[in-house]
Amino acid sequence: MKIFGTCAVAALCLSAGLVQAEEITVWSWGSAAPALDATLEGFNAKHPDITVKVEHLGYSDVKSRVLAACAAGGTGLPDVFQFQNVEMELIGAQFPDCAADLVPLGFDAEAQAQFPEFKLFALRQGDRMIGMPWDSGPSMMFYRRDFFENAGVSADDIVTWSDFAEAGAKVQAANEGVTMTNDNLNGGTEWLQMISNEQGCGFFSSDGESITVNQPGCVAALDVVKTMVDAELMTAGNFGERVQNLSAGSVAALMSGAWFEGILRNNAPEDQSGKWGVMAMPSVTEDGVRAANYGGSLLAIANNSDNKEAAYSYLSYALGTNEGQITMLREFGLVPSLVSALDDPYVNEPSEFWGGQKVWELVLSRLEIIEPMNGTAYFSDADQVLQSVQTKYLNGEYDSAQAALDDAAMQISFATGLPVAE
Amino acid sequence: MRPRSLTAFGFLAPYLLIFASFWLWPIIYSFYLSFMSTRRLPWTFNPKMTWGRVVQDPAFYNALENTLTILAIQVPVMLFLATLLAVMLNSTLLRARGLIRFAFFAPVVIGEAAYAAVFRLMFNTEFGVINKVIESVGLPPVEWFSNPDAAMALIIMAVTWRWVGYNAIIILAGLQSIPQDVYEAATLDRVSPRQQFLYITLPLLKPVILFCLVLSVIGSMQLFAEPYLITNVGGPGGATETLGLYLYRQAFLNLNFGYASAVAYTIAALAVMISALNLWIGRDKT
Repeated sequence: MKIFGTCAVAALCLSAGLVQAEEITVWSWGSAAPALDATLEGFNAKHPDITVKVEHLGYSDVKSRVLAACAAGGTGLPDVFQFQNVEMELIGAQFPDCAADLVPLGFDAEAQAQFPEFKLFALRQGDRMIGMPWDSGPSMMFYRRDFFENAGVSADDIVTWSDFAEAGAKVQAANEGVTMTNDNLNGGTEWLQMISNEQGCGFFSSDGESITVNQPGCVAALDVVKTMVDAELMTAGNFGERVQNLSAGSVAALMSGAWFEGILRNNAPEDQSGKWGVMAMPSVTEDGVRAANYGGSLLAIANNSDNKEAAYSYLSYALGTNEGQITMLREFGLVPSLVSALDDPYVNEPSEFWGGQKVWELVLSRLEIIEPMNGTAYFSDADQVLQSVQTKYLNGEYDSAQAALDDAAMQISFATGLPVAE
Repeated sequence: MRPRSLTAFGFLAPYLLIFASFWLWPIIYSFYLSFMSTRRLPWTFNPKMTWGRVVQDPAFYNALENTLTILAIQVPVMLFLATLLAVMLNSTLLRARGLIRFAFFAPVVIGEAAYAAVFRLMFNTEFGVINKVIESVGLPPVEWFSNPDAAMALIIMAVTWRWVGYNAIIILAGLQSIPQDVYEAATLDRVSPRQQFLYITLPLLKPVILFCLVLSVIGSMQLFAEPYLITNVGGPGGATETLGLYLYRQAFLNLNFGYASAVAYTIAALAVMISALNLWIGRDKT
């Protein structure tokens, strides 16, 4: 009887507790997860009654678990999940009811206008908005100043990809055991995506109705990758291996979305502080555009969450205020897509780690010239075909990059039912 | 229905219910799905996008070829090694027998993620111990993850390492069920040990080896974890993509459930055919 009594009291307390304090769970990956953690102090100062629990999962874990949960009608989803912008259209197209419409929660036209159109594009479902834009990923070239200096190379002189290759040869000659750069050649198409985007070529047309991967910009991009590999300036490294290489000091330059800034800064050993610099990515021609977007995420609220209001108030703090966004920029290098945050004084401050460089000024100047890209619901279909075609091309199984991408376009068309653009 | 069979069905009901909802229904539903184009909502009847694609999709043939390559190389090599190992483990000369048997069986107990991580480190092109050994004898380092053939060899080695001990233990059990007096009689007749192995051990082991063969074939058809975890999700560029991985990609990364269902039915049909072939080859010729 006594035991029963205690249990009853405990249950009472528990349920009373649930009514007072709401808890929301967030699935997130990479440096984005700790960045969210960093916003919690500021958020809880305003909303002490809402507890936010950020679960740090890997990128592919979040992706596959969210997709599986959506396929199961939303069972098992957390209240909030992170997703990549280019991939969100997949959810929109296949599971329109999986992510909650944020408009009735307060993400009205006025609130939406705080974000650039290229970030809203993938989230719009008619009048509905199925996510709130988070960060964007201007592609930057992160490089080791000391390795460049040893080779007598200046980052300012590198404008084109052939300049980069020339510099790479010198850097490798002057620094024993250092490779110029890495790309995820064995399991991704990151350089191909970035340089294609720089060259104004998307895998799909901007209306998403045809395949454009065999057009000149993408062909040029594939050729750049081949040149780097053939000259032995680029070796394969997936995300984890690139982080290992940078902290071991065995790679001289890495290209990635600007969100890599935080990963690099937080993983490099202390003695590398001041040795890294950031430059705009090189281009194919002297007067070519030197900007692309790689990565960039959003937060969505699960439609079957019981705490949508609380979840939305967290989103609107973390992503929709300068305070939230600048915290994540400062701690983890996530580039705000909230336009007003770009005027925050912090972005003009020089960074010690980057040798006193005003990193964010350079990064943010890229935003205006980035060409928006339509990921479509078929992005991962296209990516798989391109991985296979890229490997074959690098191994000499096609006569030219054009032939390789013509074949890729045909295969993507076959998988998606979309036509190849004329 | 007679009351007696009613009672029987009553007891069977929990199982039948689970079977119907988690086995029968998905099997029927995915057959239905395999005729639907699921690329866009609403899903439409369009077998050209599913069955039509299976028969001519180069990526499917690539995955099929990879799976058959693994099947054709890995399964015989592994069963050969397993038989050899079983004979050695059965030897009366062997000391600390229990420990050694466990040591060869242990890989099966280790989690896939853990052993995959160790293989990735060991075969790392620049820092890995395998390449250090290869270089120390004066050979050029092998690009285990970038070279399609090397990546395939790596997968075959990994799978063999993991399963050879398991099969050896099964074969060992078979060895121990062969009565000793057969060997005694053979020794009296001055049959050499080599001949004893070829004409007594192997024929009597045939049912056990056949059992291992069928299990291994089915295992290879479903191979997923190794190419997913060790070679960058079937990399480089699909060179180690197996049918299981291909199915997973289509269903859960591309959300193309219709096509994935057609692929699943094709894999199941192939597995049945290959297993039937095994049994037919190994049948007792009376």
